[in-house]
Amino acid sequence: MRNIWAVAVNTIRQAIRMKIAAVFIVLLFVLLPIMGFSVTGDGTLKGRLQTFVSYGLSLTSFLLCLLTITVAIYSISSEIEQRQIYTLITKPIRRFEFLLGKLLGVVLLDISLLALFSVIIFVITIYMPNFYQPTEEELTEVNNEFYTARASLIPAKVDVSDEVAEDYNKLEESGQLDQFFRGFTRKEIIDQLTKRRQLEKRAVAVGHQLRWQFHNVEPLDPNESLFVRYKYDVSVNPPDSQIYGRWIVGDDRQIKYGTKFRTPIYSGEQKDPIRTFREIEVPADAVAEDGYLSVGFLNVPLNNTVVIFPLEDGLEVLYKADTFTANFIRAVLLILFRLIFLACLGVLSATFLSFPVAVVFCLVIFFTGTVSSFVLESFSYLSESVGLIYSYTIKWIIQLLPEFDKFNPTKYLVPGRLISWSLLSKAAGLMVCVKASLLLLLGLLVFSFREIAKITV
Amino acid sequence: MEYAIETISLTKIFSDWWGRAKVYAVDELNLQIHYNEVFGLLGPNGSGKTTTLKMLLGLLYPTKGKALVLGGDGADPKINTRIGFLPEESYLYRYLNARETLDFYGRLFGLPAKVRKMRIEALLDMVGLKAVANRPVGTYSKGMARRIGLAQALINDPDLLILDEPTTGLDPIGTRQIKDLILKLAKRGKTILLSSHLLADVEDICDRIAILYGGKIQAKGHVKDLLQQTNKRQIVTDAISDETLEKIKQIVQAEHAGCEVTSPLDKLESFFVKTVEEAQQQARVTSGAVSTTQIGSFLVPDAQQENVLDKLVSAPISQQGSSEPPETKQAVQTDKKEVAKPDSKLLSHLTQPAESSQDTSTAETKEVTTKPVESEPDKQQEQFDKGILDQLTGHSSSRDETKGRTEETKEGDPGNA
Repeated sequence: MRNIWAVAVNTIRQAIRMKIAAVFIVLLFVLLPIMGFSVTGDGTLKGRLQTFVSYGLSLTSFLLCLLTITVAIYSISSEIEQRQIYTLITKPIRRFEFLLGKLLGVVLLDISLLALFSVIIFVITIYMPNFYQPTEEELTEVNNEFYTARASLIPAKVDVSDEVAEDYNKLEESGQLDQFFRGFTRKEIIDQLTKRRQLEKRAVAVGHQLRWQFHNVEPLDPNESLFVRYKYDVSVNPPDSQIYGRWIVGDDRQIKYGTKFRTPIYSGEQKDPIRTFREIEVPADAVAEDGYLSVGFLNVPLNNTVVIFPLEDGLEVLYKADTFTANFIRAVLLILFRLIFLACLGVLSATFLSFPVAVVFCLVIFFTGTVSSFVLESFSYLSESVGLIYSYTIKWIIQLLPEFDKFNPTKYLVPGRLISWSLLSKAAGLMVCVKASLLLLLGLLVFSFREIAKITV
Repeated sequence: MEYAIETISLTKIFSDWWGRAKVYAVDELNLQIHYNEVFGLLGPNGSGKTTTLKMLLGLLYPTKGKALVLGGDGADPKINTRIGFLPEESYLYRYLNARETLDFYGRLFGLPAKVRKMRIEALLDMVGLKAVANRPVGTYSKGMARRIGLAQALINDPDLLILDEPTTGLDPIGTRQIKDLILKLAKRGKTILLSSHLLADVEDICDRIAILYGGKIQAKGHVKDLLQQTNKRQIVTDAISDETLEKIKQIVQAEHAGCEVTSPLDKLESFFVKTVEEAQQQARVTSGAVSTTQIGSFLVPDAQQENVLDKLVSAPISQQGSSEPPETKQAVQTDKKEVAKPDSKLLSHLTQPAESSQDTSTAETKEVTTKPVESEPDKQQEQFDKGILDQLTGHSSSRDETKGRTEETKEGDPGNA
């Protein structure tokens, strides 16, 4: 441990005195405040805040990622290339201690810089409303939709596999399969049928009602509000592109003859444009004590069309589950995990690659990681044709990619969404415990067997 | 653990990317180095000296064969605690200063903070870098870097010192100091393996040498055995009259042997050292009265080193003795100096009474500049007496010391050639 610490301290000294870190620090010190005053977003206060947090955090994260890659690689490869390691490794220090020391140094540097800059961003974000004269409405909007950490509940998907299987068999028996789905694989046909069936479940005919049930709704404070966010789709466009709907929110289990309501049930009629997101605010005391909430929608006969709630984002219930501060801290932790991953990657690549090659290698991984879902998706399409070779080789390597986009904190902070502990622990588990440690282990293995003084050209 | 270092048909083949053998850097090397021996590895550039050292330390893996260092693997941390290594160039962290550099390495040996600090100061003093200890080592000249490199090799008080061309980049005075230091360390029971192609250095200090070429040992043995011309004799006398010379010539010719008479030349090294030393003394006399605290730059090494080193190292061991003995020693030193250096005797006599006692002490430390540099911390209980001894023998005797030592070892050490 003593050796690891000594190496770590030396690494930090190097990063600071060789001015590698200084470049990034100065850049951020200049850019962050400028951004704080120059961003306008869509002109509203909320827009400003969202743009600032999004750009500020993204920029900090990006620059620190670059810093991590550079410092992690440079501090190891420079020692090997400039041969200080000859003197170092012949001291009573084990090779793994050397690498762990380097890693520790980089991570400590990351932690302190990240802490510094996220505090700056946080302070600017909190005090930004004071610099403009926002109206009362703007303030409420910002408080409800930005300075918050709203949990989102989406209705569970209905299991339609039985119906789909039935549909498929019917089509097959009647020989219509070839007629409608020529050239499709079985899987693709099933997918299409499933989608069709599921949409049916989210469609409401005129005069009919649809009810969603949610469990484990835990608002932070029952005096706050919860929000139902929805988007209408229709089968026939109404003349004014508006839909009348009656919404009922509360604990519907208590609607029995002759009983008194323990929790209030709210209802109201609403006229909204189609194909745009709308939110209705409901006091949070509508939630039952056991965390149960039902949301009902009545398709008012006036509409004269079937109303459909799109599958992905047609309806969700939002409620304040945590404070903005706590959410912000978790967002910063997500960035830290990303940095730790990159530090391990840098350490690994520096054990067998020279500085420029290692940097390019890490940057490629980094940028692929930021679009990982796209990469994963495109490869999974490919998999069907390539088959075995793919599933035993590339698939595993692709799985090792960091999913930076999946755990992108600004994606949550901008719309004021909750970064749940489960998401955080998933990120920690996947990115740090599994992938990063695997890389580090590989690095230790490579390094403990390589010849330190071998000249590689 | 018969040998401090033993290699058994050690071979290193450098191969290209395809695995085809390209260079036999070291070829079936069998080397035995005894404990408490100064062993020199000689050879032209590219003869495999450095590769051998790297294999001993686990920086390179042998293609074939085995290397035992202090009875174990040279890459084992347990063994490493007893080794001091100075690579072919002092590869230092440019952004650290001298103190931080030594502190960093000291930490790796797990030295407690107090011991570390003491040793660092002593070592800085010893290699004459105290005045520039707070400058980043990246700004050091090659010679200064070499000095700090040597200091880091000594921070753990090693049993075995492996020095790869220790004197490259050093000026003659620095070279001399390092050579003296090596001899002192050897006297303290350290084993020293050094590689060099500076033959004069090796000749002066090594007990045994091996000459490498093409990765193979071409010759090895005791320096004296290898160099002695058995068919010639040399007589050195004081300046004698021409008649006596004629008589001697006649006697020699009676034996039908050739005879050649010359005045022996001073070694250029000794001459250089003497000249610089004198110049330093003069500078000290003129500026000494004005600024007493100013110690010369690193190139003007400092004889006070020895005193400081001993004081620092022995302080925690014998607390009560720390204040007294240096003073007695100082006195001895002053007396001795006057005997040892007749040239400067008059000068110092003239200057001493005029200056304050503080001045005298610094002035006199300057004058003994090239005295053998005292070495390592630890086990310095008896250091005071030893220090005085060193002062008494003075720098001029160091040559004789070498010769005496080589003979000793030769006797006590059954045949190796």
